[in-house]
Amino acid sequence: MSAAEKLLLREPWDGLGLPEESALARQRAGATFGIWIFIASEVLFFGAIILLYTVMRLEHPDAFAAAARETNLVYGTLNTALLLTSGMLAAVASRMNEGAGARRTVLWCLAATAGLGLAFLAVKGIEYREDIGRHLVPGPGFPLPQPPAQLFFAVYWFATAIHGIHLAIGIGLVARLAILGWRDPAFLPDNPQVEVSLLYWGFVDIVWIFLYPLLYLPGRAG
Amino acid sequence: MSAGPTPPAPSGARIWRRALLVWAGLILLLGLSCLAAWAPLGGWTSAVNLGLAATQAALVAVLFMRLDEAGPLVRLTAACGLFWLAILFTLCLTDVLSRLANA
Repeated sequence: MSAAEKLLLREPWDGLGLPEESALARQRAGATFGIWIFIASEVLFFGAIILLYTVMRLEHPDAFAAAARETNLVYGTLNTALLLTSGMLAAVASRMNEGAGARRTVLWCLAATAGLGLAFLAVKGIEYREDIGRHLVPGPGFPLPQPPAQLFFAVYWFATAIHGIHLAIGIGLVARLAILGWRDPAFLPDNPQVEVSLLYWGFVDIVWIFLYPLLYLPGRAG
Repeated sequence: MSAGPTPPAPSGARIWRRALLVWAGLILLLGLSCLAAWAPLGGWTSAVNLGLAATQAALVAVLFMRLDEAGPLVRLTAACGLFWLAILFTLCLTDVLSRLANA
């Protein structure tokens, strides 16, 4: 086992006395399995929010269409494109990290992924400011006449804020990898932490892929 | 999940080519979603948009999150998340839809 591989081994994989060639492979397999279990639990968490939306929309279809028309389609579409692009760079970083000699590409892809995530949050912030300026917040002064339209915006704020928090955590994870990899050339290559962080990033992408048609697209035709 | 030796890594150019192709597909589907939202599809608008979103999500999960190369244990874990989600939606919507139908 090389010195770099010894550096990457974590408890309990470092003390099991496994053959050298399989210790890191087993640690990587365990890490990938673990993050997928976490992702499956997150599917249920976001699934419950989307189920709440679905039930309320089935009961108040017209008010939800009118409310969704008030969201800013340009910001929403731009943010979807930003996240899809960041997902591609994350996938490239994850695959490139498994062969020697591509450290620079991996570093650039990680930095660009985190940068596009920050751009998403910046656009979302501008959008939030506009929404607040138009009083699209449930409560007194809400501009739409139908009361259930306030339910739509309750879900809008809750779902986008929870997604934003997840994305901020993802930016932190990816930026951490980029900084540690930039400081220490032995840190990134074949490190299981890279795949784990980028699988989480992919999941946060998928959540937005579903939030976009639910929050931005209803009620546009006709 | 395999702990054995991994096959040789594909070349950098091939990784980029494949990723850019998938990305182009995702952006195309995003454009189609926008068009579908404005198109006069009547009650089908939501179904078409959610279908396009599901296609995008499948592309990300299989090709970007590497389920295509994953072992059976990881695939089963991903499928479990969807299976419990299906139970959640089916049981809840059975109740809600039957109430709405009889309202």
